[in-house]
Amino acid sequence: MTLQSTPDQTSSRSSAPLVMEARGLVKRYGQVTAINGADFELRPGEILAVIGDNGAGKSSMIKALSGAVVPDEGQIFLDGQLVSFRSPIDARRQGIETVYQDLAVAPAMTIAENLFLGREILKAGPIAKLLRIVDKKKMHEEAVRHMQGLQFAIKSMSQPVETLSGGQRQGVAVARSAAFARHVVIMDEPTAALGVREGNMVLDLIRKVRDGGLPVILISHNMPHVFEIADRIHVHRMGQRAALLNPKKISMADTVSVMTGALKPEQLSADMLAH
Amino acid sequence: MTQPATAPPAAKRSALPSLSTLGPLIALLLACIFFATQSDRFLTATTLSLVLKQISFVAVIAIGQTLVILTSGIDLSCGVIMALGSVVMTKFAVELGMPPLLAILCGLIITTAIGALNGVLITRLRLPPFIATLGMYGIIFAATQIYSNAQTVTNLPPALNFLGQTFNILGTPFTFGAVLMLLFGLAWFFLTQTAPGRHVYAVGNNPEAVRLSGIPTTRLLISVYAVAGLLYGIAALILVGRVGAGDPNAGQTENLESITAVVLGGTSLFGGRGNVLGTFLGALIVGVFRVGLTLSGVNSVYQILITGVLIILAVATDQFSRRKA
Ligand SMILES: Nc1ncnc2c1ncn2[C@@H]1O[C@H](COP(=O)(O)OP(=O)(O)O)[C@@H](O)[C@H]1O
Ligand SMILES: [Mg+2]
Repeated sequence: MTLQSTPDQTSSRSSAPLVMEARGLVKRYGQVTAINGADFELRPGEILAVIGDNGAGKSSMIKALSGAVVPDEGQIFLDGQLVSFRSPIDARRQGIETVYQDLAVAPAMTIAENLFLGREILKAGPIAKLLRIVDKKKMHEEAVRHMQGLQFAIKSMSQPVETLSGGQRQGVAVARSAAFARHVVIMDEPTAALGVREGNMVLDLIRKVRDGGLPVILISHNMPHVFEIADRIHVHRMGQRAALLNPKKISMADTVSVMTGALKPEQLSADMLAH
Repeated sequence: MTQPATAPPAAKRSALPSLSTLGPLIALLLACIFFATQSDRFLTATTLSLVLKQISFVAVIAIGQTLVILTSGIDLSCGVIMALGSVVMTKFAVELGMPPLLAILCGLIITTAIGALNGVLITRLRLPPFIATLGMYGIIFAATQIYSNAQTVTNLPPALNFLGQTFNILGTPFTFGAVLMLLFGLAWFFLTQTAPGRHVYAVGNNPEAVRLSGIPTTRLLISVYAVAGLLYGIAALILVGRVGAGDPNAGQTENLESITAVVLGGTSLFGGRGNVLGTFLGALIVGVFRVGLTLSGVNSVYQILITGVLIILAVATDQFSRRKA
């Protein structure tokens, strides 16, 4: 299957090639089918919100998109090319950065080390490269630079992540993804643990990333956040995409009804649907 | 929410790591002072040399044990792997007539391979490290007994003994002290200065984070257990040098003692925290107690009792400090 074989897109915007697309993804965990034939598409430069009830399979789907989970069935396309991510590093090599819901940090290690986990800056010179000696000073400086935009009141990049508040940890994870992404940024509930002020800082950062030209996939439960920032809304229900909505036209109440299944997408007027 | 969540004061935090090495240092000093009051012979260079001798192979095993525990694993097969290593090295040289260096090399390869097998059982078969290495303990112990007919291997060529040869520093004979320092130095450098060393800590902290960062965790863990196996092989070489024989019955107390050294040194049994220099202090404490109690004429049963008390105290301290954090 290739990109051309998706003629169901009728919108005028469908001429722009998709950055990411998935067709018929399936992932089973024993009896549980976490992803049940899910479709997905991401346009260039957009913020796509993914919403859905707990257990709808949002995290599982984005894990398939980021290589953290290998789907049992279905295809994933990146810029129209069929890809198959066997591990997160495959996706990362393609410039896809992910903030996982269950924050993937090493608590006893420093902020700088966490930012660079798995891609440490090595000291110069052949012996240092061979022994893989890390350049702590450089990593520290780079960490300061990356975290600059975020006013998370973090005193030092050499403090262990476990000394940070939940919001500050989330800030570290978000900064890491924003710093390294070259293609797509995926964030699974990045504002869940945050207060109002910190939440707004993350939203600003997401906008900055989008304005810098990178598309963002944002999984969130926070409807005001979603409506404030999203260009389109992907509604996930029972392991599938139930609808694609246009936040400029549809109300929050109707969106929640679609999410819970009280309202069928067919019952919505055409302009409320996104394409 | 008017105030951003502020980080705790930096001074408090930076004091923490030094405190964790200060603890074992203080314990070591207290033990030395205590034993000095018990016996005039304690504070002499000969005793220091004796302590180093006593802890030599336990300390080397404890380096491997530190690597394993940092990944939040445990290795109960370390002592018997060392015993097998000593038997292989000596039998290959004495009975197969191999050149000593080649026999040593074979021994090291075998202990490394057994370590790697531990890692495979833990990663590929997903066995808990406790179970995997407990099973291997039985297997390797029996294999060593069968292969050696439960006989010590003697009449070694001198070259096999080279780590038992003494060299003089300030008129006091030191044997493997230098080798020991070198190994601890290398382990410290690896763990604190290299990317794979940092990954050892990270995998003990949060294995899922390490996997999601794209670090091959399976390869990392197998390598850690293999390097631990290599260190047990080096310990076997020191053992052969010290007793002048391959000993199939060695390694019975080294499991508990190496874990004691690691934990006394401030490394957390839950993984991801600690350092290998602390392990050196921990091993010294174990050695000082052993030698000190012997010099004070205390029955060896009490030495085992005190080791047990020490390990419980050390783990309780770790638990307590973690609950507070
Ligand atoms: N690793 C796993 N093993 C077993 N079941 C899982 C696993 N991950 C997710 N699931 C199950 O898949 C379903 C979807 O979960 P998830 O993708 O986390 O949903 P969401 O992020 O929308 O809340 C849930 O029923 C969850 O229990
Ligand atoms: Mg989720």
